[in-house]
Amino acid sequence: MSSTPPPTDHGDRPAVAVGDVTKRYGDRRAVDGVSLEVRRGEFFGLLGPNGAGKSTLVEIMEGLRKADSGSVTVFGESPWPRNTALLPRMGVQTQSSAFFVRQTVHEHLRTVAALFGADRGAVDATLDAVGLGGRHDVRVDSLSGGQRQRLAIASALVHGPELIFLDEPTASLDPEGRRDLWEVLRGLKAAGRTIVYTTHHLDEAEALCDRVGILVAGRLVVTDAPQHLIGTFGAASRLLVPLGRIDERKAASLPGVDGVTVQGGHLVLETRATGRVLAALDPLTGLDGVQTRTPSLEDVYLDITARQARAPLATDNQEQQA
Amino acid sequence: MSAYTALTAAGYRAQVRDKTTVFFTFAFPLIFLVVFGLIFRGRDVEQSGFSYLSYTAAGVLSWGVANAAVFGTGFTLMQWRADDILRMIRMSPAPLASVIGSRYVLALGVGLVQSVLFVGVAMLPGFDLVPASRWPLLVPVMVLGITTFLLLGVIVGSIADTPESVAGIANFLMLPMAFLSGSFFPLDAMPDWLQKISLVMPLRYLNDAVSAALTGRGDLSDIGVGCAGLVAFAVVLGAVAARVFRWTKTS
Repeated sequence: MSSTPPPTDHGDRPAVAVGDVTKRYGDRRAVDGVSLEVRRGEFFGLLGPNGAGKSTLVEIMEGLRKADSGSVTVFGESPWPRNTALLPRMGVQTQSSAFFVRQTVHEHLRTVAALFGADRGAVDATLDAVGLGGRHDVRVDSLSGGQRQRLAIASALVHGPELIFLDEPTASLDPEGRRDLWEVLRGLKAAGRTIVYTTHHLDEAEALCDRVGILVAGRLVVTDAPQHLIGTFGAASRLLVPLGRIDERKAASLPGVDGVTVQGGHLVLETRATGRVLAALDPLTGLDGVQTRTPSLEDVYLDITARQARAPLATDNQEQQA
Repeated sequence: MSAYTALTAAGYRAQVRDKTTVFFTFAFPLIFLVVFGLIFRGRDVEQSGFSYLSYTAAGVLSWGVANAAVFGTGFTLMQWRADDILRMIRMSPAPLASVIGSRYVLALGVGLVQSVLFVGVAMLPGFDLVPASRWPLLVPVMVLGITTFLLLGVIVGSIADTPESVAGIANFLMLPMAFLSGSFFPLDAMPDWLQKISLVMPLRYLNDAVSAALTGRGDLSDIGVGCAGLVAFAVVLGAVAARVFRWTKTS
């Protein structure tokens, strides 16, 4: 089903290469035979339900945990054990309380910068980039949730890493803050950085990611570009026709309509042939007030995770190896 | 700015901005000095010829310095792990020597200020402590003592995951130890078997060495034995600390 399009970086090693990695906690396989490559400059989204093993997989890539079996390389080197040659090239977002206590925003980031050997100018620039430019002298414990989140991200970026790991970076941001951060992330990508991130916001993954991987119960079920995934998964589009324009049975008999339901004042026609159905509707009802809902990554995601939950073993192994 | 300098500066700011902890770190031993001074006013310890106060001053100072090293290190380590600061340090290329070194220097600084303040107050009229001529030996003794108890703090801070459990474990270790090693009451006044028990406690060795260096009780060999005891405990506690240390909450 997936995935790896032909390499375009002319023999450049991938930023991250994970080969058949497994990690057990007791009897449970938190990560179960995952293989994955993240190319340089790629924006890669790791999706999956809570407890699917996303954090463990990311921590193995970061070199914070050792895999039980399998291989992991970052820029061609092993991140485990603590590899101080590799660490300056990686930026890892920690939870948004990972601040040195009783410091101001600037003092905290200055200390982080010093840990990475980054210079002081980078501190001001990074604070500006995440929108904390006016908050230099505020104590970290007085920051709002969104500001803490930004400072946590700034702490991962201050040393200008080539590879950035972000863990639900937009989780506690308001819509404006999310959009602002999207711009920061797009800027990083435009500057050639590689970004690996986890999120539960599928609209965001669809908007930002070059590729996404969906992890269910420790197994990587699929990796693909969001748009391609939506296309190949053949999720249905929905046409919303105001009630009373056309009766249910008639609608169901239109060419290309797969199913009809009534939802909140609309007749909802499911179809994989939107154009054909619209053409058939036009002479019958007119198209005023008819809305089209194209399938989103969320539809595909929910479909995949639900299917995995129903049919655990047999199908995924094939999908995974494909 | 080096990682060492930055961490030391951040640690210093965190320390002085926490007024409550500053107060208790430095005032607590002084309060004990006053209390014991009032209780044992003018009395001498049998046979030794030294005043109770000079005895107590050395014991309370040892306990105060040891206590600050255990609690300070334990709380900071637990907090750093709970807040993922440790994880951030782990994911930075900063040499571990500069991280450990900065915490070590901060702990030594606290011990230095405590000692100067405490001895200064104890020399005031009413307490009348007269430091022995070999008082400079206090410096290596205190360095060894702080090293030993800092390592005990690493163990406490690695085992405990909440501030409450740091306080619980550290108090459980330090309070009985203070009484059983003769920090508050002269060991001479205790039964033989209790005196023997004190030999397995690091605070006993710090007490003896501080007492010999500060008040001239005993001779140089007491300082030597005290230091040797502290080194032995430091080696054992260091080995345990290296085993129980955890970078993150889950590993």
